[in-house]
Amino acid sequence: MSRFRPSFFIPLIAFLGLAIIGGMALQSTLSGNRNPSQLPSVLIGKAAPDVALPLLQDRQAELALGNFQGQPLLVNFFASWCAPCRAEAPALEQLSEQITIIGIAYKDRRSDTTEFLQQYGNPFTAIGMDIDGRAGIVWGVYGVPETYLIDTAGRIQWRHAGPLTRDVITTQLLPQMAEMQ
Amino acid sequence: MTRQMRQILVIIGFVIGFAISFVIGAGLLTPATIGTAHALTAEEMLADPALESRARNLSKQLRCLVCQNQSIDDSDADLAKDLRREVRTQLVAGQTDAAILSDLRAKYGDYVLLAPPLARDTMALWLAPVGFILLGIAITLGMRRRAAQIDSADNSISSADRARIDALKRQHENLNKRDTR
Repeated sequence: MSRFRPSFFIPLIAFLGLAIIGGMALQSTLSGNRNPSQLPSVLIGKAAPDVALPLLQDRQAELALGNFQGQPLLVNFFASWCAPCRAEAPALEQLSEQITIIGIAYKDRRSDTTEFLQQYGNPFTAIGMDIDGRAGIVWGVYGVPETYLIDTAGRIQWRHAGPLTRDVITTQLLPQMAEMQ
Repeated sequence: MTRQMRQILVIIGFVIGFAISFVIGAGLLTPATIGTAHALTAEEMLADPALESRARNLSKQLRCLVCQNQSIDDSDADLAKDLRREVRTQLVAGQTDAAILSDLRAKYGDYVLLAPPLARDTMALWLAPVGFILLGIAITLGMRRRAAQIDSADNSISSADRARIDALKRQHENLNKRDTR
């Protein structure tokens, strides 16, 4: 039985192949390049949806993104019931010095939103109320907080699901904003 | 105990081992499945049974984006509920099933469909199982052909050699019998 049989090595080669693919996936996950729970937005490069929403301060008036056209915008979906939204509040406050930020309160009550803004600061130029979450669906939101960067032509340039951490801001958002100018 | 019997015992051992691990795995999963089996509430349902059955059918094809491996029909998540309502709103507005699916796909991407669409970059995903089945058939046929070749080679042995082989086989069996006693 000393005859060399190449078929003997097929399982070994198959295993090594799978091990290399798995190892590469693990490597990119650990290094932070790939986050399996982070879904890509299909709206990148497309016009930001303009869903008419009542304003927080004035039920009769509507939030229209068209009013802000010609300047870059940050649209931030948040909610008073969302813990990561509290965590990113200071970051938004800081960003508001560089860019106009529109807030959309996702499935929240007016009184709770107002209280949240009093407690954690209000970085928003305007706040729309998405009480039933319809606007969230149109924007492809699958969890708050979610932030969209909109260019001067009203197109979505970048989207981030989850809180804006220092890392996300310095490695993704600020370079994207610089590119637009 | 002959070598053949030992091999059979090993195979039976493997089968029992797999069966036990499946039963344990299923046992761990059932509570979660039971908990979410009736996500749909009565007030969500449409009065028109035809529309409602279309809504259920569509819900089963759509992924809940926060739980990721459940359909929105199965999931208790808030977003799943909102998407179920969105599907029903569009059905009542007279949209076709295909239009509703493509509308949600435009907002959330291919990922919202539990069955990925057949496209160029998902070709490998769809064709791999067929490929594996063909490979399995090819290997099986190859093995059978080889076995047949060995059988036919056996017939070409001269009658003198055949007698010697039979004598050796008998001798071997006698030795085996002594071993097992």
